[in-house]
Amino acid sequence: MAAVVPGSGASREEEGTGGDAATPQPPAPTSAPGARLSRLPLARVKALVKADPDVTLAGQEAIFILARAAELFVETIAKDAYCCAQQGKRKTLQRRDLDNAIEAVDEFAFLEGTLD
Amino acid sequence: MAERPEDLNLPNAVITRIIKEALPDGVNISKEARSAISRAASVFVLYATSCANNFAMKGKRKTLNASDVLSAMEELEFQRFVTPLKEALEAYRREQKGKKEASEQKKKDKDKKTDSEEQG
Repeated sequence: MAAVVPGSGASREEEGTGGDAATPQPPAPTSAPGARLSRLPLARVKALVKADPDVTLAGQEAIFILARAAELFVETIAKDAYCCAQQGKRKTLQRRDLDNAIEAVDEFAFLEGTLD
Repeated sequence: MAERPEDLNLPNAVITRIIKEALPDGVNISKEARSAISRAASVFVLYATSCANNFAMKGKRKTLNASDVLSAMEELEFQRFVTPLKEALEAYRREQKGKKEASEQKKKDKDKKTDSEEQG
């Protein structure tokens, strides 16, 4: 059986691009009720939206819905990838489970070639 | 290193929490898989934004609004998201309205206070 998780001492490893490099301010939740509705920081989502050169302006509601949609997307793709892991009788989701899900599910076709 | 839009990753902690809550207890996720999902989420936002923007442009508007995003979800074959998103939007609007009313009330109270101070 192949080693499932390398985990050799690297329990918490911050990735270089993972968060602090892009935006100067930390993604602090502005209000407690807001955090219930959307866990992803709207400022970060807004930065992504503005990265599109064709986008002029985006309303607050649009940003919020995109954040919520991204959460739903993460849940969906995680569950789909888990189906693959389950078939392999593994309890840890691996990168290849994700690749399989992307290939198998039509809606994820837009991701092909973007994650490398 | 050039900063690509996909590098604007969403916070790892939040992504991990969303994944863990979506999966049964006891299931883990490798760092590579989590990082890939995080990047996928960023790509998703960019893709959805671009699609929503097309709807806005069709409507001759310069500002992306909520219905543009909802239309984009249908266009991208994520219809299953539409209902939960509509519900979330209503809750968000209620909350925003509540906040607005609360701050207007605060302002009214402040004005009242100022008035009474002037009189006294």
